[in-house]
Amino acid sequence: MAPDDKGALFPAEGGVRERVIAFLQKAISQGCFDAVLMPAKAPGTDSFAYSLIGDGQLLKNAYPLPPVMSVQGAKAISSLTRSGKGKKKIAALIRPCELRATVELFKLGQVDLENIWLISIDCPGALPLAEWAKDPKKAEDAFAEILKGGPSESIRPICQICDKFSTTGAEDLHIGVPGKEASGILLIPNSPKGEAILDCLGIAAGEDISGWKDQVDKLTGARVEKKRQAQKELEAKSKGLDKLLDTFSKCINCHNCMRVCPICYCRQCFFESDNMQFSFEDYLKRAEAAGGLRLPPDTLLFHIGRMLHMSLSCVSCGACEDACPTAIPVAQVFSLVGNRNQEAFDYIPGRSRDEPPPLRVYQEEEFEEVEQSHAAVPAKQEARDG
Amino acid sequence: MGEGFTPRIVGFLCNWCSYAGADLAGAAKLEIPASLSVIRVMCSGRVDPVLVATALLQGADGVLIAGCHPGDCHYREGNYYARRRFALLKKTLETLGLDTERLMLAWVSASEGQRFGEVANQFAGQIMELGPNPMKTKISL
Ligand code: SF4
Ligand code: SF4
Ligand code: SF4
Ligand code: FES
Repeated sequence: MAPDDKGALFPAEGGVRERVIAFLQKAISQGCFDAVLMPAKAPGTDSFAYSLIGDGQLLKNAYPLPPVMSVQGAKAISSLTRSGKGKKKIAALIRPCELRATVELFKLGQVDLENIWLISIDCPGALPLAEWAKDPKKAEDAFAEILKGGPSESIRPICQICDKFSTTGAEDLHIGVPGKEASGILLIPNSPKGEAILDCLGIAAGEDISGWKDQVDKLTGARVEKKRQAQKELEAKSKGLDKLLDTFSKCINCHNCMRVCPICYCRQCFFESDNMQFSFEDYLKRAEAAGGLRLPPDTLLFHIGRMLHMSLSCVSCGACEDACPTAIPVAQVFSLVGNRNQEAFDYIPGRSRDEPPPLRVYQEEEFEEVEQSHAAVPAKQEARDG
Repeated sequence: MGEGFTPRIVGFLCNWCSYAGADLAGAAKLEIPASLSVIRVMCSGRVDPVLVATALLQGADGVLIAGCHPGDCHYREGNYYARRRFALLKKTLETLGLDTERLMLAWVSASEGQRFGEVANQFAGQIMELGPNPMKTKISL
């Protein structure tokens, strides 16, 4: 979906990681930006965390594509800029879904992007956090094979149906990872800020990138189809009150899914506020009507309520599912509901920085099918009277 | 279906029009469903879909949202936002396979006492046909 089919080839050798680090090192040494925000391995550990790296040398611990998404990148960026922008120029290197969440947060006034350069990269997916935690070394080795183009059945279910794993158009610069035979990585600028990076590096966006683009389009098509199929199966499993209750019956009300979600930025979640506390008599009444009441109550209401608050901006990143201690397919359900809602409003979260969030705008003539039409009532009334 | 069943309906009514319309219907002694619990809101745009979902999941048989006619909102555009939020709510419930027939969004002005009675009765009839909200009987909600 790159606006123009042009990019620059940054010559580099080695695996994806080495190539990207070479690019970042050069960019820092030329002063294109002052520091990079990206995943890195904490020295002496197996853990990956977002780190602010200002020294080109320290980049050797960096992992542009770590095996897991330990923290959603949009959260890292918002923690950095929530109280305003800094003076330094920071390049944030994040996965496409993290980038889309960042753009949503930008539109919701939660990040300041003035001094941030958003850079995304072709994403091969991530492993389930729980799998990785069991044996980080083994997971890292397995993921290295995926990065080399090996089979990818072990990536998270939400990644297997991801159809937005490459450029979204809202980044400043996208890093395309062409086939093995290529002699570098593709740098595809999508904004004046992105073009400035190429200028700073002294390379021109004259490279024909159609080969890479065909590859991306082909995989996108396959993923769209896979997603359609997977969502159909999910609907069969979880649609309707009983199945829905069943899906969420393992929920232990920890609210991890909300806490790790990049879109749920509220400092005080409505569902943890006094608004959701009801009187003892009230609970008793409900218990009497149903013959019992699960406590704490309103588990399903929490999930449906959260969907109502944020699903239009859900980027299907899977962070919620990774954080769920009882393996509920939270992200798959939220993504399904999000996709349907987004279709209804012709909205793709994170697609563009200028597109307003659907609930902030309206048209005078729209959605008339959801309202009780003025004519309908009297007409029926007459029919009944007559 | 519906024998001995009195539907419990929650009505979020806009202060400036539908609430006044309901008042008028009452004053004119028009027949309105007895089990309508009215919640007065300052504008239909104030109704967070979460409030509606709360009423439904806690056992209301139906939820009515009524506001000023498009173009007549006291705050100019609140009802247009209300309609978007309502569309979002309906779509969400539809995707989850939950009843969307238990919801209604209607425009009733302050002078339309008659229309308010008609809307409320038609909605109550619709809920009678659907029967009691099954969520009421779920322990594990
Ligand atoms: S609901 Fe889950 S999948 Fe959607 S944005 Fe939040 S964490 Fe990501
Ligand atoms: S569920 Fe709603 S109130 Fe709670 S954090 Fe998310 S957006 Fe905020
Ligand atoms: S993370 Fe899982 S168990 Fe915790 S509240 Fe969310 S769905 Fe429930
Ligand atoms: S004031 Fe009545 S709908 Fe806004």
